Amino acid sequence: MATSFPDVTAAYQIPKVIRLADNLYGLCFTLMKMIPARHILRRAEEDGLLEPETVVVETTSGTFGLALAMHTARTGRRLILVSDPAVDERLLRRLTDLGAVVERVSAAARGGYQSARLRRLAEIRRSLPSTYCPEQYSNPDNPRSYALVAEVLAETLGQVDCLVGPVGSGGSMCGTTRLLRSVVPECTAIGVDSHHSVLFGQPDGPRVLRGLGNSLLPPNLDHTVFDSVHWCTAAEAFRATRELHREHALFMGPTSGAAYLVARWYAREHPDALTAVLLPDEGFRYLDTVYDDAWLAGEGLALESVPDAPVVVDDATVPGTRWSAFAWGRRTRAEVVAGAAEVLEGAR
Amino acid sequence: MLSSTHRRVARCLPAQQRRVGIGTAHAHHGELLQGAFSHGDGVVHALVTLPYPALGSRVEFHPAAGTGVELPGPGYEKVGRAVELTLRALSDEPRGGRVVVTSDIPRGLGMGSSTSDVTAAIRAVADSRGTVLSEEEVVRLATLAEVACDSIMITDRVVLFAHRAGEVVETFKAALPRMVVLGCDTDPGNPVDTLAHTPARYDDHELTVFRVLRGALRRALEIGDVGLLGRVATASARINQRHLPNRALDLLLDIAAQVGAAGVQVAHSGTVAGLIFDPARPGWPSRVSRARARMRAAGLSLTGVLDA
Repeated sequence: MATSFPDVTAAYQIPKVIRLADNLYGLCFTLMKMIPARHILRRAEEDGLLEPETVVVETTSGTFGLALAMHTARTGRRLILVSDPAVDERLLRRLTDLGAVVERVSAAARGGYQSARLRRLAEIRRSLPSTYCPEQYSNPDNPRSYALVAEVLAETLGQVDCLVGPVGSGGSMCGTTRLLRSVVPECTAIGVDSHHSVLFGQPDGPRVLRGLGNSLLPPNLDHTVFDSVHWCTAAEAFRATRELHREHALFMGPTSGAAYLVARWYAREHPDALTAVLLPDEGFRYLDTVYDDAWLAGEGLALESVPDAPVVVDDATVPGTRWSAFAWGRRTRAEVVAGAAEVLEGAR
Repeated sequence: MLSSTHRRVARCLPAQQRRVGIGTAHAHHGELLQGAFSHGDGVVHALVTLPYPALGSRVEFHPAAGTGVELPGPGYEKVGRAVELTLRALSDEPRGGRVVVTSDIPRGLGMGSSTSDVTAAIRAVADSRGTVLSEEEVVRLATLAEVACDSIMITDRVVLFAHRAGEVVETFKAALPRMVVLGCDTDPGNPVDTLAHTPARYDDHELTVFRVLRGALRRALEIGDVGLLGRVATASARINQRHLPNRALDLLLDIAAQVGAAGVQVAHSGTVAGLIFDPARPGWPSRVSRARARMRAAGLSLTGVLDA
């Protein structure tokens, strides 16, 4: 059914559900982060947290910032984003064009960019009479906003047996899965992370693959949602992104590629299960990187193919050098990490 | 412009030709989905009812001179109100008559006995004037006669129905798929007073879950998926448990899991409940008989098998 939208923020939050195989469907977003950004800002408005002069402030250099900037441009509100120098120039131009002020901090001596960003955010908030911070990592309205995705999935696919998606703040996977399980309690949830991300127990380390994984543990990440966790390398995610493009003509970003890598494998292994995969954003930002063979070769990230299957690991805390999978079993992080420590203890 | 009511009155039989009117309506077996759903700019309490055509009410209306309406006895006040409202809607001068109600729907179980009587009475009065009321008009009169009414008068399609507002919130695009429901009274001898219980106050999470369930129900009907329909009913029954606890729900969920039923459905105001089976799945008759044996052993009184 054809429908019109009141504005672009309402349109961008709706995924297109696209069949990738008999039992595999992609949820293709132009900008998935529009879902929490729009929901949180509208909620804040309803709750009277946004005065006319209130400035929206947030630490982000990614797509959540873009979604906020689109929304504040539409609602005529000031937005200040605190970012690190890693923000890409194209995104920066877009944010600025939407009227957002982007402040870039340099790394602090201790705690890296993240703590420098948080310190600068606090300074900004002190200097302004009225600010509002959406706090995507801890605001419970982030996961809640994904009711929309569960609703779309229920209506278009009915019984979803497995949901696969990248994990960064935890909002999309935890929010969507919890609601899908109100209909299908046994629905399998597979989180896709990057090696050297702390989310599921590995120590923090340098990561080339951005947009998923984290150096900090977001309160919105409910580990007990996940049946299994996969980690992949940047090269594997980039290759899978290109395969998603070549095989399905879906022009998506690398977090989509990482999720596709895992979902395609799961759907092949489970022909009787209906699998859905979250594909959070489009490929334009990555034309000069993921979609550039020369860049990939120069960075040593060019792969001829991806592995057919992950390496199954029995310790979530050890970073790997290729796509790996771990049976998380809907446990807490403490349960899994403590379990790993015991295994190590036993080995000594 | 003439209102639709006036046009209908114009089609009524002249007074001397008024006859004994007969109206019927069937029962339901509680709900497949019950909760609060967005409708227009707001949120309304609404239901998707599981029709139970095997049981029903039949009402005769014998027109008589005068203005009094003679009812079968106490407990039929709502039927009396429905008769008076219908007479008033059909003619400027309310007239009297005698009402005879025959019904095999058990009372107080949440099977729509009251709405069925009221609906049959409205239809009987209209029939006595040689007319048939539109569905909207029957809904309007039934809602006026009762505080809340079920959607049993809507027989040709599946609807999400706001039972307090008497309003169709959504008409689903497809009919119910064939399914088998093994029904029971979960609390024999303790009927629920439908009007005494206050409307459920759902929390934010429940309201969100209802959005997902509504979407899943659309899909289940569209593709005729009894399994998914059963899951929707089960999820709805679990939420209902926080608001109008059904003492046998855990037992029914346990039996459903053990015999492989598609789901469990309960009444929004009553003690009736049922296990849903998918007749497209092989072995369903043996699942039904195993479930029946376990329900009997647990002391539940069976209300029947609905195969629709």
